[in-house]
Amino acid sequence: MSNEIDFDTILGKYRSDPYDYIDVHAIHTGVVNFKVDEGDDVDSASGEWNHIPGTSVYEINRERNPKLVHSHIKGTISAINGELDGQFVEAGEKLMTIRHPLKKKEIIENILKEVLFLFRAPERAKYFFSLDIQSRIEKKGARSVSVSPGEEIITMSLMKRDTPVYYKGEPGVIHSVYFKPGVSVDQGSPLIGVCAPEKLPLIQKIITRVKADWDQNAAV
Amino acid sequence: MAGFMLGSTELRDHLHRVELPDRRQGPLGAYAAEILRYGGFVGSSIECHGQLVRSMERAREHIDRCEGEGRAVESGRVIIAERLSGSKGRFTRRWHAPPGGLWGCLIHANALTPQSSMLFSLAVGVAACEALDSYLPGRPALRWINDVLIDGGKAAGFLIESHSGPRWKEQFHLVGFGININNTSFPEELRGTAVSLCDRRGSHVDLREFSLVFLAKLTWNIGLLYFVEAGGGAGAPDDEGVHPVVSRWCELADTLGRKVVFGFDVISRPQYRATAVDIAADGGLVLNLEDGHTVIEHSGEIRYV
Repeated sequence: MSNEIDFDTILGKYRSDPYDYIDVHAIHTGVVNFKVDEGDDVDSASGEWNHIPGTSVYEINRERNPKLVHSHIKGTISAINGELDGQFVEAGEKLMTIRHPLKKKEIIENILKEVLFLFRAPERAKYFFSLDIQSRIEKKGARSVSVSPGEEIITMSLMKRDTPVYYKGEPGVIHSVYFKPGVSVDQGSPLIGVCAPEKLPLIQKIITRVKADWDQNAAV
Repeated sequence: MAGFMLGSTELRDHLHRVELPDRRQGPLGAYAAEILRYGGFVGSSIECHGQLVRSMERAREHIDRCEGEGRAVESGRVIIAERLSGSKGRFTRRWHAPPGGLWGCLIHANALTPQSSMLFSLAVGVAACEALDSYLPGRPALRWINDVLIDGGKAAGFLIESHSGPRWKEQFHLVGFGININNTSFPEELRGTAVSLCDRRGSHVDLREFSLVFLAKLTWNIGLLYFVEAGGGAGAPDDEGVHPVVSRWCELADTLGRKVVFGFDVISRPQYRATAVDIAADGGLVLNLEDGHTVIEHSGEIRYV
């Protein structure tokens, strides 16, 4: 991670195209039937427990076992691979793209994810901090807690089986926590973002600059 | 030294004399010997102690020592103690383990696929429920995921932790078990929620014999996971695609149809109320929320409302 960051380039990119483009892929092989058209708006899961599914985007049927797949994000269908509608597809085939309008907070998170070391979930499961890390966070706050490679930092819980998760990555302090106890995290999604203590001022600078720049542009 | 001694030879004898003939009468009778062979590593060696701080800790030390000395760790080693002085449940909960109960840990070298591993916790609960059921027919019941209740009070609980060997990184399941058998007094915080087999049955139970029964049931149910994974005969999922461990769990459970409160740590942080309606093929609990929506939980715990 560099100590310098080209704010104008990064912010220029977000100003000219303040969207994320999320590709939607077939979750397994089967015959797909689209439930949306290009230009349709889609919603993400909602409800207090995120239990109300998002908009249905496609159905996939494998061996008479149909499965409805829902959007995980709010946005608009910006592209759709229409010729696949009603066809057999392989697992992982790209079906459509959702354009998601970014909020200021998401832009900050996106930039931070480029500069922090992201420690990711090894499996889809629920996670909680190890007792030692949790008590240090409660006493001093996450940004005062250092982690180093090989340290047991998190416990993964799946079907009442607890597996210690050992940190692999750059030593540093926990800057961002992306999971909540009791909420499932998908495999590969970031659990924590870590940075070296001397990089904290740079991180703070990013946050301040994006906030100021975005508010200023919003006001103009 | 524990209040009783148990050896793997006695367990083998019990399996041949009692468990195998019994299982031959059941729905998978034709495959009973094969299923028991798949689970035959359970109790490959048995350590008995008078007192330990924690049996899980002892298991970790054993794995680390074996690997440190360049030896393989035998799967199925069972560590039993007459009492545990520092036992604990999940999170920061205490587990009361005085003399009279069955306290210990099974070391399972995890050779299961991730799909079968998902059902491991259910299989362990089924084994304990079947063991208690053979002393009190029809009264023990499973509460998702694997608590065993008798007349609504908790008689058995499990703590399953993964542990990787320090040298070869082989993954082990450490299955901590605690079953209230002849221990009849509980600390203040557990009174009203914990029960023992002896109390409910009204008579003392031979702890050594119970241990054999429990380990035999573990042999069967863990063996069933391996048997099905290997595509063994009729042990494969039934016509409706249900794994025999899941269907057995459903037979023994009193969870389905109940109103429950769910939480990742349901005691200190209950999250929501729902009705438990089904078990998913992978062992997840299907819950109907009060607003009509359905969620499937794969982690966390419930209490009946």
